[in-house]
Amino acid sequence: MQSSAANLLVLVPLLPLVGAIGTVLLGRRLGPRAHLPAVAGIGAAAVVAFLLLLGTANQVGGGHGDPMRPVEPVEMISTLWQWATVGDARSGDLTATGLEAVGAPVAPGTADNGGAFSIPIALRLDPLTATLLTIITGVGLLVAIYSIGYMHDDPGYPRFFALVAMFVFSMSMLVAASNFLLVYVFWEAVGACSYLLIGFWYTKPEAARAAKKAFLVNRVGDFGLAIATFLLWMTYGTLDFHDTHLADGTIVEGILGQIRLADEAGYVGGAVGTAICLLMLLAACGKSAQMPLHVWLPDAMEGPTPASALIHAATMVTAGIYLITRSAPLFVGCPGALTMVSIVGATTALVAALIATVQNDLKRVLAYSTISQLGYMFVALGTGTMLGFTAAIFHLLTHAFFKALLFLGAGSVMHAMGGVIDMRRFGGLRQVMPITAATFLVGACALAGVAPFAGFFSKDEILAALHAKAHPEAHGSDHAEAGSAGERPRDLSGGVRLATSLPSRPFRPASMITRTSRTDAAAAHGVSSGVSHEKVGLDALDHPSTWRLLFWMSLLTAGLTAFYTFRAVFMTFTGPVRVPKEAGHHAHESPSVMTMPLVVLAVLSAFAGLVLFATNALSGFLAATPSLTAPALARTAVPHVFHWDIAIQGTLAAAIGIAVAAIGHLGRRSDSPQMERYLGPLGGLFANKFYFDQIYAALIVKPLEALSLLTAFFDRAIVDGTVDAIGQVPSAWGSAIRRMQSGLVQRYALAGVVGVLAIVLALAWQLRP
Amino acid sequence: MIPATMLTNALLVGAVLFCLGLVGILTRRNLIVMFLSAELMLQGVSVTLVAWSRYHGDWGGQVLVVFVLTVAACEAAVALVFVLQAFARTGRLDASAWQALREESLPRVIDHELPADDRVVPTWPHLSPAGVLPEGDDSRSLERDHV
Amino acid sequence: MDPVSTTAAPSGLLLAGSVASLAAALWLLLPKASDTVASRRLGFLLGAVALSGFAATGRSLGCVGEDAVFLTVAGIAVISGLATIVTRSPVYSAIWFAMTLAGVSGVLLVLGAQFLGVATIVVYAGAILVMFLFVLMLAQPSGMAPYDRVSNEPMLAAAAGAVLLGLLTLSIGRLSAAEPPACCRMPSRAQAVAAASVVAPSTDAASKDDASKDDESATLIAPAQPGGDTGDANEVAHLGAELFGRHLFAVEVAGVLLLVALVGAIAVVSRGEATETDHRREGR
Repeated sequence: MQSSAANLLVLVPLLPLVGAIGTVLLGRRLGPRAHLPAVAGIGAAAVVAFLLLLGTANQVGGGHGDPMRPVEPVEMISTLWQWATVGDARSGDLTATGLEAVGAPVAPGTADNGGAFSIPIALRLDPLTATLLTIITGVGLLVAIYSIGYMHDDPGYPRFFALVAMFVFSMSMLVAASNFLLVYVFWEAVGACSYLLIGFWYTKPEAARAAKKAFLVNRVGDFGLAIATFLLWMTYGTLDFHDTHLADGTIVEGILGQIRLADEAGYVGGAVGTAICLLMLLAACGKSAQMPLHVWLPDAMEGPTPASALIHAATMVTAGIYLITRSAPLFVGCPGALTMVSIVGATTALVAALIATVQNDLKRVLAYSTISQLGYMFVALGTGTMLGFTAAIFHLLTHAFFKALLFLGAGSVMHAMGGVIDMRRFGGLRQVMPITAATFLVGACALAGVAPFAGFFSKDEILAALHAKAHPEAHGSDHAEAGSAGERPRDLSGGVRLATSLPSRPFRPASMITRTSRTDAAAAHGVSSGVSHEKVGLDALDHPSTWRLLFWMSLLTAGLTAFYTFRAVFMTFTGPVRVPKEAGHHAHESPSVMTMPLVVLAVLSAFAGLVLFATNALSGFLAATPSLTAPALARTAVPHVFHWDIAIQGTLAAAIGIAVAAIGHLGRRSDSPQMERYLGPLGGLFANKFYFDQIYAALIVKPLEALSLLTAFFDRAIVDGTVDAIGQVPSAWGSAIRRMQSGLVQRYALAGVVGVLAIVLALAWQLRP
Repeated sequence: MIPATMLTNALLVGAVLFCLGLVGILTRRNLIVMFLSAELMLQGVSVTLVAWSRYHGDWGGQVLVVFVLTVAACEAAVALVFVLQAFARTGRLDASAWQALREESLPRVIDHELPADDRVVPTWPHLSPAGVLPEGDDSRSLERDHV
Repeated sequence: MDPVSTTAAPSGLLLAGSVASLAAALWLLLPKASDTVASRRLGFLLGAVALSGFAATGRSLGCVGEDAVFLTVAGIAVISGLATIVTRSPVYSAIWFAMTLAGVSGVLLVLGAQFLGVATIVVYAGAILVMFLFVLMLAQPSGMAPYDRVSNEPMLAAAAGAVLLGLLTLSIGRLSAAEPPACCRMPSRAQAVAAASVVAPSTDAASKDDASKDDESATLIAPAQPGGDTGDANEVAHLGAELFGRHLFAVEVAGVLLLVALVGAIAVVSRGEATETDHRREGR
């Protein structure tokens, strides 16, 4: 079982890679069938990934359904080869770095590593990886099939499929890698694929600019991940996730290995721990387009729509979510950093939703919606509870489905409208493209959180996790206290009790929270060193009043989400039929190769949430992920219940949003006066995306341009000037000596004689008696 | 066999001839005179070789001189042919007539100040013609007024 | 022979003066724009001074009576050589060169190389020089050509030649004072040749060489052991035996070389103008 699973695991990244290489090699020869290698590779990988998911689920067994039972972590490591091995990378100069001198903590289990640095090419399989692999390859397959229709006349047809397959390879390696350095490598690789796909139409200046922007903004985040990796190695002495049993019997404790996870004091907190977590948060912000690094994602819509659906909606942007989930034990030790994750997420979610309300470009609405939803996931991650992490992954899954669906639907519209994507220029497309309209509506419902659709359940869980943090006295503190006592009482009634108590419960000021419960919670978070029980600095943010604010921000975002989603639906699909002249006379439904993935995704968007929530399959399954079995995290597990009170609040917000959208846009011409005129000056603020681009231009781009002008001057005038001056020396010599080239043979002969004489004279001087 | 004094005297003569030939070949611009200078250098070498040969009682030096003579004859034959070809092209026996190998940007080297032709023009006695003067073109007289 | 041991290395002052005066003489004598009769006379004077200076520094001349003939012919050769290179008219140059050949021939005869002395006259003066004159007749424009009246870099070339002569004189003068170099102390090749020589060494020659060797070997380079080179009488026979014995192959090669030169000259000429072809064929 183990070895066959290992072989299968290798196949998941390998098959898309083979497909990519095959497309590159055979693309020209295959012509219009150039998609075959890539689609076949991704399809086979999807099948394998699904098999692995089933196998892992089988291994986890009946753990789900009972979250309070201790869960055995499930993981399987497949080490392919050693990439690099450095004998004593740490020895000697550690004191020179001054890290130990300033008391930088070294985590337990680090010293016996001997300072050896080695990078195994190791893949891992655990519930989290299996889930993400399935999403990546599954959505990738659907997008690839859709692209067959969408890209069919493009001159870069083979290149597109090679890039998509390459991207699937990189992304599956990213989530399957069992080493922070490998994660970094493929973190960069997906960034490169993203760059190439955004700039796919590289002759279009906007696309080239957008690709450059995405790459540069991502570099800021990558820088954070690089520094975080260095710090991790200095602190833990290894970069592996897993434990390694060496031949001589010693064990290298991986950062996320079983030994360290079981150890309450296995993780470093304090300044170093917070720094690592914040740097990882920076990295996640870059890749997952969170504020302040979100500016690249809306521009990335210049790429082909399938690429937007695959990369900038469903998969790549979830890399940040994955990174934080994978590093959950590190974050749990640093409540301040965790709170920062939530704050960043909630702010991003709200700001992006506000911007989305006034966008007229359908793809841009979806892009800001993506940013907003990713912010939702960050909020969930930041709660630092089992419910939060599983809710984030749950939302990631459902979001992948419905956002891919919405993007592909938008692509279908764009395809039919001859490349026009401005919602004011078309309308009433319900009659023209019924399948697209229906599936788009399903996606919109899922995104808005309408009751039975997927987004409803995942959003509900996120809000519930937030609510639990905001009101710890309601259902969190008793667990924390019980957890520190080393015993986990089964409290099946928590959710129900919350449901009955919350609506009538007024908000209390922070001072009323008992001090003991907070300090106990801090102790329970497993902060091992460097932090006193008194919360200082960032950790002081971890306060129920903060969480309450975040909860209400998220609820507001939910309402806004419903509004802008249905605004887009109404503007595009309702009202009188209008078609831009670019579409010609034959605006029609897209071919079946494009609508088929839409239907599949629509089915998934409609029912996946309900099924997964009703069976509680996902959260129970994910709980067996090693990272989530850390004691500090596991003891926050709560019973799986449906939070009626929160569901009602969420649905209410969604309903208000939809209603406002309907008042403004349902049945009207989409180019009729817009609602933003009621917004006043705020409308300008939203339409200009909160002036982020302008601020960055003023603060970063312009000074950098000035600096580069200065350096360019320095380079040209001084560096080049010096080099040129040196170059002039032989030239000057040449023009001086050139006069001797008279062409007169006798002068040449004379020069030869003088030379010989000089030599003879020198010899005579040497041999003088 | 010759005594050492004779050796050094002969060597000295050879050295003088060699150096004179060298100066000649470097300075004189007439191709013929340049070749004469080269022959002068060969003479100097020949004297030196013979002197050493006689001093050591070894025939090798003299044999070498025989070959030097041979090679000088060959060289003269071939070189003079080339001189004639060169003359056919330029109408001059001037080594400075060929400057094609000079640097492109440089001007041709031209003699700016030429010394006056200080030769004494001989005045031939004019005899009264005996008989009828043959028809002929005076300007194309076969006799050169100067050699 | 006595001065050999008494004369030390040539006086540096004398040598430097000789070099300077030779350079000045050559410069004065070479054709150039600022020529006057007086400067040429001064040049001849300086040249004579320089040559005597070189003669004095190079080697003390020993017994004048014994070397009077040598002095005469050497003087003819050197002065004619100087005239060869300084005369304006190329025809005069050629004639002066003939005089030089006569002098060199005399020097060779004094040195005891009868065959070469005669061969020089015959080959050079009789064949090569005549060829030069033919070419001059064919190619010389009427009147004195301008390029015959000027020289190329006369000062520098004269200085270079004088310095070279000074160096040569210095080294020739040192031959007497210096230890013989290692190569010269080795057994002479002539010794080995003598064993296999066609002509048997004669006894009286051997005894004469032994006598002269006794005088000189103390300070001079060791002269070769007596070989087949004995009297003047059969010198030509010895040279012929050497030439057509040991160096037969080289003689053949030289013959081929002559043939090739002949063919080459004709080949080059026949590509030239047809009018001059006939004249040039007579050149060789």
